[in-house]
Amino acid sequence: MIKRVAILLLCCLTFVLAPSRALGEDDDWNDIGDNYYTVKLESGEALFTVGAAVYVDDQYISGDNKRYVVTQVDAENYTATARYDSDEEMPAIDWLKPAFAPVSSDTSGGSGDRLIAIYATHTDESYVPSDGTSSEDDGGGILDVADALKSAFEKQGVTAVIDTTSHLPHDSGAYRRSRQTAVSLMKKMPDALIDVHRDGIPSAEEYLTEVEGVDTTQVRLLVGRSNQNSEANKEFAKSIKAVADEQYPGLIKDIFIGKGTYNQDLTPNAILLEFGTHTTSKERAIKATDMIATSMTSVLYGSGAADGVGSNTGSKAAVQSGNSGVGKGILFLVIFVVVAALAYAFLATGSGKGMMEKLKRNTSELTGGLLGKKPDNDRGGDES
Amino acid sequence: MSVGMILLLVAALLVIFGLGQRVLDRMRLSDRGALIAMAAIFIGGLIPDITLGPVRFNIGGALVPVLICIYVLARADSPGDFWRGIIGAVITAGAIYALDHFLPSEPEAIVFDPNYIYGIAAGIIAYILGRSRRGAFISAVLGLTLCDLFIGIMNRVRGVNQIIEIGTGGMLDAIVISGIIAVLLAELVGETIERIARGRGRQEVEDGAVRDGRRAK
Repeated sequence: MIKRVAILLLCCLTFVLAPSRALGEDDDWNDIGDNYYTVKLESGEALFTVGAAVYVDDQYISGDNKRYVVTQVDAENYTATARYDSDEEMPAIDWLKPAFAPVSSDTSGGSGDRLIAIYATHTDESYVPSDGTSSEDDGGGILDVADALKSAFEKQGVTAVIDTTSHLPHDSGAYRRSRQTAVSLMKKMPDALIDVHRDGIPSAEEYLTEVEGVDTTQVRLLVGRSNQNSEANKEFAKSIKAVADEQYPGLIKDIFIGKGTYNQDLTPNAILLEFGTHTTSKERAIKATDMIATSMTSVLYGSGAADGVGSNTGSKAAVQSGNSGVGKGILFLVIFVVVAALAYAFLATGSGKGMMEKLKRNTSELTGGLLGKKPDNDRGGDES
Repeated sequence: MSVGMILLLVAALLVIFGLGQRVLDRMRLSDRGALIAMAAIFIGGLIPDITLGPVRFNIGGALVPVLICIYVLARADSPGDFWRGIIGAVITAGAIYALDHFLPSEPEAIVFDPNYIYGIAAGIIAYILGRSRRGAFISAVLGLTLCDLFIGIMNRVRGVNQIIEIGTGGMLDAIVISGIIAVLLAELVGETIERIARGRGRQEVEDGAVRDGRRAK
């Protein structure tokens, strides 16, 4: 055992003490350092840039609702090639009133039965032109954006709760720590859970835009694909984009389908929003909060929800759209459990008969003897 | 929240509950004991967190899993098993600390969800140390707890006045999820290797348990 411990300790020490930025608190540390990938079409036209490694089969829904799939990656030159896959089918939004509700000037507070929860996994994220740095341990500019988003929802008559708990250091473990914040917020049973971020790509131009005469930043919607809610999360993101495309054309940059979970397994109505990047000004990012809150309010509570005259048609449409994703989520869970149980039982026994016996035994143990076949003798505790 | 969404949430919780019960069943607990322990994790997760100085912890997400680890360690078959559990937890804490820093943090850059990888690390480390399901659970639960305490101390040293949260995500906290994943991984690897080593020729199955394998009595 001593040999094994020594090898494991050596491996850990190599990782921890490696001469890298690992022990630093550098904000934009990721697997490609300060570089970023440019993803191009086969024609050579640039599609988007991203401050992260890109992999073959990565998927991306562009601002004009086209789905692209990455086909080639040139890691040496930080470029990738994507091919057009299909037009993404967006949710129907014919329920949206032609003249959607303007933003109300009432800031006296929201409605008790409409609740949105907001938090920030990377609480240190900041905007260099406004905050002077890209990362602030004591709370970055992203918290001002999150606060503006809360106010924007309240203008729409929606109660918004914000949790500004810090999740430092800014590393991948921040998602483990922010999960605790997200679970705490979920206990309030919000209608949607929003994780507010800003991007880390150096090019501000990627996010700068003008929407209805207002200089603002675009907003990226990010959904994960590593959990049972991923289809429902994606439907929710597509609903937001479809409504925002109608209300504020150009506001939504794109939908990025990431490989993580981003705590979106906690609710089908979870979304990660990126307001600009660290090289855009915070003030521009804040201007996008009113617009995104209006669109999200329409998706969740129906057209005209802000002035209280709208029906809940939009809400019903959004629910129907979301339910299709929910159905896929439940189906995914059932298939996962059945396949995993069968595979495990077969692996453990090596025969069809043994597999069925083991499944019956486990079902009996799981249900306290209510279902399945009760074991003749309890073998609990016989394993190491 | 629509009925469908509530159904999906309940289904996910039931899956975690079921997997958790199967995992705790391997922790020297009876079937009923495992059910009660899982129920304690679930109900404890709903009870408000307890704050002691700079540390805040949850009964279901931290206290119950840690108590189960202590129970398993106290009933270890030999001093070797006891120390394998402790050493596995310390090494896992170091591995998680390293993984936190080396894995990408930006959402677009994440290639594998960090919340799943801790359990995998703990499962592998425990299996290398002693091919032990119980060791995997201890490595994951105590490893994550130690790592979070260490990060909290490092934050304080850096002047960041941030509360140290342990298991405050309740049943959905990384501590519980990682404990489950670690045992399932150790179980899967163990069953596979034992199956290969045993071969089909010697199999004898009765009531789902392999009679001549190391798991049979």
